[in-house]
Parts: sequence; C-alpha cells; structure tokens
Amino acid sequence: MPDKKRKKDLTFAQKLYLPEIFKGLALTFKSMLKPSVTMEYPEVKFVPPAAYRGRPVLVEEKDGTERCVACGLCSRVCPALAIEVQPEETELEKERYPKLFEINMIRCIFCGFCEEVCPEEAIVMSKDYELVFTSREDAIYGKDKLLVPVDQLKDRLEFLRNFK
Amino acid sequence: MIDVHNDEKLLKALFEQDTDITIEDALENEMVINMGPQHPATHGVLRLLLRLDGETVMSIVPELGYLHRGYEKMAESMSFNEYIPHTDRLDYTATMCNNVAYVLAVEKLAGIEVPTRATYIRMIIAEISRIMGHLVAIGTFAMDVGAVTMVLWSFREREIIQNIFDRLAGARFTTSYTRVGGVASDMDDVAIEMTHGMLKDIEDALFEYEKLLNSNRIFVDRLEGVGILTKEKAIDLGITGPNLRGSGVQYDVRRAKPYMFYDKMDFEVPVYNEGDCLARYFVRVDEVKESIKIIRQCLNQMPKGEIIINSPKKVLSHKAEIYTKMEELIHDFMLINFGIHPPEGDVFFSVENPKGELGFYIVSNGTGHPWKMKIRSPSFCNLQAIETICKGQMISDIVAIVGSLDPVMGEADK
Ligand code: SF4
Ligand code: SF4
Repeated sequence: MPDKKRKKDLTFAQKLYLPEIFKGLALTFKSMLKPSVTMEYPEVKFVPPAAYRGRPVLVEEKDGTERCVACGLCSRVCPALAIEVQPEETELEKERYPKLFEINMIRCIFCGFCEEVCPEEAIVMSKDYELVFTSREDAIYGKDKLLVPVDQLKDRLEFLRNFK
Repeated sequence: MIDVHNDEKLLKALFEQDTDITIEDALENEMVINMGPQHPATHGVLRLLLRLDGETVMSIVPELGYLHRGYEKMAESMSFNEYIPHTDRLDYTATMCNNVAYVLAVEKLAGIEVPTRATYIRMIIAEISRIMGHLVAIGTFAMDVGAVTMVLWSFREREIIQNIFDRLAGARFTTSYTRVGGVASDMDDVAIEMTHGMLKDIEDALFEYEKLLNSNRIFVDRLEGVGILTKEKAIDLGITGPNLRGSGVQYDVRRAKPYMFYDKMDFEVPVYNEGDCLARYFVRVDEVKESIKIIRQCLNQMPKGEIIINSPKKVLSHKAEIYTKMEELIHDFMLINFGIHPPEGDVFFSVENPKGELGFYIVSNGTGHPWKMKIRSPSFCNLQAIETICKGQMISDIVAIVGSLDPVMGEADK
C-alpha cells in the first residue's frame, strides 16, 4: 500500500509534478480501455433481484379475487400512512374483502412493512420501480392497478418463504 | 446577498465574535458574505455566514436547520418498529449503521437478546456501510479541493456495495434492514460471495485512490496544515469519529465501549496527530482498510442459524407461524397495533458511525412508543468545530475544511 505522505516526504520528482501528470494520464488511458460501469437506462432495463422492494401490489388469486381479508394491519403499520382499506362482508370462505383498497404512491416509501405484517400474504412488494404519474390523483392506486395475478409474483413469494 | 432584516440575529452573532486577527494592508472594509445553503461544497444544506477581511475569515457562523424534519418528535407518536425506516434518513451515506444503532438501543431498553448470526450480519452490514460512508467522504472531499476524478471513482465502488444491499435488504439506499430482535432477511450465499468480491474490489480501488492522491503535490500542498484542530479543542468541543482521531485522540466507541462482537475482533484504530485536513483524510482511508479486516473476520466466524429471535410478544414471528398458528397471529396483531412494551426507564446507547458517535437516548413510560427520544448525531456535534477551525483561514480553505469535517446534513438537522 502506498505510504501516507506529507509534503516533506514527497520525492523531488513528485514535487516537480510534471512526471506525475504523465502517470495520471497513463491511468486515464488505462481506464478508457476498461469495461464501462454505467448502464444506459431506458434502453437497458435494470432487472432487480427477488429481494427488491418495488411498488407494493395485492395478490390476485387464480379465480380473480384478492387474497386480502381487509384486516387493516397493513394500513396500521405503514409508517407513511399511505394505505386506506375499507372492509365489506362477502359470501366467500374468507368472509371479508376490501371494498376499497388504495395506496397513495406519493406517500409510500417502499419500506415493505405492509408485506411483512400481512397475515394472509396478500400484499407483496413487486419488482416494478417505474412509477410515473401526471397528477396527484393519478398517484392514488386503487384495486384496479394494485391487483397482480399470483403467477407474476412467484419470485417474490418464494423469496419470502426462504429468507424471511 | 444578505437580507439584513431576516438575518439580524445571525449578523449580530457574527459581529459579536471577538476577532484578534488583524492583517495589515488588507482591504479596509470588512465584507459579510453568505455561503450556502445551496453551495455544492457545503455537502447538502449547510449555510455559512462569513465575515471577511480581504480573503481572511474573521468570523464564521454556521446556520443549521434547513433539512429539519423533526425526527425526534416524530418518534414519540410511532411504535418502535415503525421508526426504523426513519433512521435510514439520518446519515444517508451510511444507512445501515443507523439502522443497527437504533435497534441496539431499543433492544437494550426492552431487554431483547439477539441470535448470534443476526449480530454477525449486523456487524457486516455496519462495516460495509462504514466503507460506503467513507467512500463518499473521500470522494467528495477530493472533489472539493479539485480532484473531480475521485468522486466518480468512489461512486463507482459505492455502486458495488449498493448492489449487495439490493440483494440483502431489497433497496439500494433506503435499506430499513434491521428489526428489533434481529434482521429482516437472511444473508444468502450469493450475498456472501458478493461481499467477498466487493472487499477485493475495494482494496484494489483504495490502492488506486492512494496512488492518485497521497503523492499528489497539489493535493498535499492544498491540505497540509490547513484547518488545524488541536487535541484539547477537539475534546472540549465534543468532536467524535475520524475528526477526533485525526487530532490525535485514540477514541473509538467500538474499542472504548464494545458492543456486538467488536471486542472479539482484531482491528486497529488509526490515529494521526497533526489535526489538519490531510490527517482527517488519512484516518478515513485507514479506517476503510480496518473495516475490510473486520468484515473478513465476521464472514469467517459467522455461524448458521436464526436471524431473528423467537419471542412472539416482542418480536414479529416468522411468517410461516403467523399463517398457521392462532396464537402467533394474535401476537402479530397486538404487536402491530400496540407495539413492544418495554419497561419504564431510560437508556442511552451509542455506536461508532462513519461520522462519529451516534447515540440514541430513549425514555420509555411503558407504552408502545417512546415518551422521548433524543438523537446524539455526530455531524451536528462535529459542526461545532467550524468556528474554531475556520477563524483566520483563507476563504478558499473553508471548502476544504467543511469537506474534511464531512458533515451530513440529514443527520445534523435531524
Ligand atoms: S394486512 Fe394483508 S390482509 Fe390485512 S388488509 Fe392489508 S393486505 Fe389485506
Ligand atoms: S411499502 Fe411501506 S410505505 Fe409503502 S404502503 Fe407498504 S408499509 Fe406503507
């Protein structure tokens, strides 16, 4: 490892500075030949690992209903107060379902706490990180935008079972 | 320029400071100028008011609070778990360190034991974060004094670290990874592999950085003897972290009051005696090397096992148990709705962060949320030194001094 140098420790050549410039330039040329470290984003997409916490989504069962039983735990734990749930009774076995389920994506901080506390594995973090809205109203995602078929979330559900 | 009416108090403070610096032949008029809060060299939103005589700084008043979000007050209306994401936003260059510090404080308060593997993971991520924080510090510091290449390089290496966090915690920046009683998810083999690779990369990169800077005459000339903070002053002002060790005081919380398994680790505490900007830079570079050593030891010693303690009344149970068992489900609901109920009392716990000693003082009245929380943030305390250090320096050195003190305003303003 190079030593810690104070001014008095610099050699004459180093004090002269000119040779150092050439060394520096040599380094610059060396770096030019190295592979690039950046990603050309819109063309090349970043594929996140399964652990990635993208926008929270609701799991949609194969029959088209949501898993959620509208217990309201996610909305209680959310540090950003982003979730609103309104329950209603249903004839199905689970007895309750959310009449209204909204997440305000402007408020959400993608902490993943809602996923962690849900007793039904009904809300999970997806890999979706491209969130664009043109108005504040658009940013409030209702059930239509939140529900994602369970097949598309296999990665994440598997991760949750293995690592949580 | 300065809006005199709003700044009357600041100006008064500025002119009340006694100045014993007189320079013959300087410009006759003193000048008051404003640096920041949007100045790129103030690392965020630090505002400095300077009174100049020619180019010499006669007095300086830092003004903080532009990034104040009231985190101490917010904690009082949140359960202990809910507050974890907010600790990310304190020192945002080394998020995991804050996560670890906070949960350690809560665990001390509530008397919760942590599984061994979780503690090792916490040490690893805390040290990785320290490297991350120091990389930013070194890079931006070098950029402040003119070496723009450095910041690009150090951010390149920082990217490797963030990929590990991505794999581990699911976010590159806002990690929120620790939980009271353990950590959120396990460190798998891929993450361990990535960490080994990262250490190698960082070592190579450090070698290059040092080659670029340590024998660079411009860099050394620019910083040697600039912004000297003496040992006595540093202790009087309550400076901690690399800034204190750059002034020749051997104080590191990891050694002075060992927490987690730091007493079992073999590492040095780098100390330099000069107290100038260069010494503070050297301390940071050496600390990165020590962190690499610690991480290697942790990776070798880390046992297999649980990552979060099984105590349903205080800590969220495993998901599988919540799905299948009634009792765990009830505790899950109770815990989220009412929180952990630590015993009445107060606790102070501090850890060594990249910026210095970060401490949490929590007063509990036995309910699910703290009655009062005080954060002893290192950047805030370190900024006190600005007045002492900058007096009598040239105005262009202020940039170097602020860079070498390395304040993070998210933490200083809380
Ligand atoms: S915690 Fe799960 S089940 Fe309960 S309301 Fe939220 S999504 Fe639905
Ligand atoms: S990810 Fe966090 S902030 Fe976003 S909705 Fe879930 S709990 Fe709330």
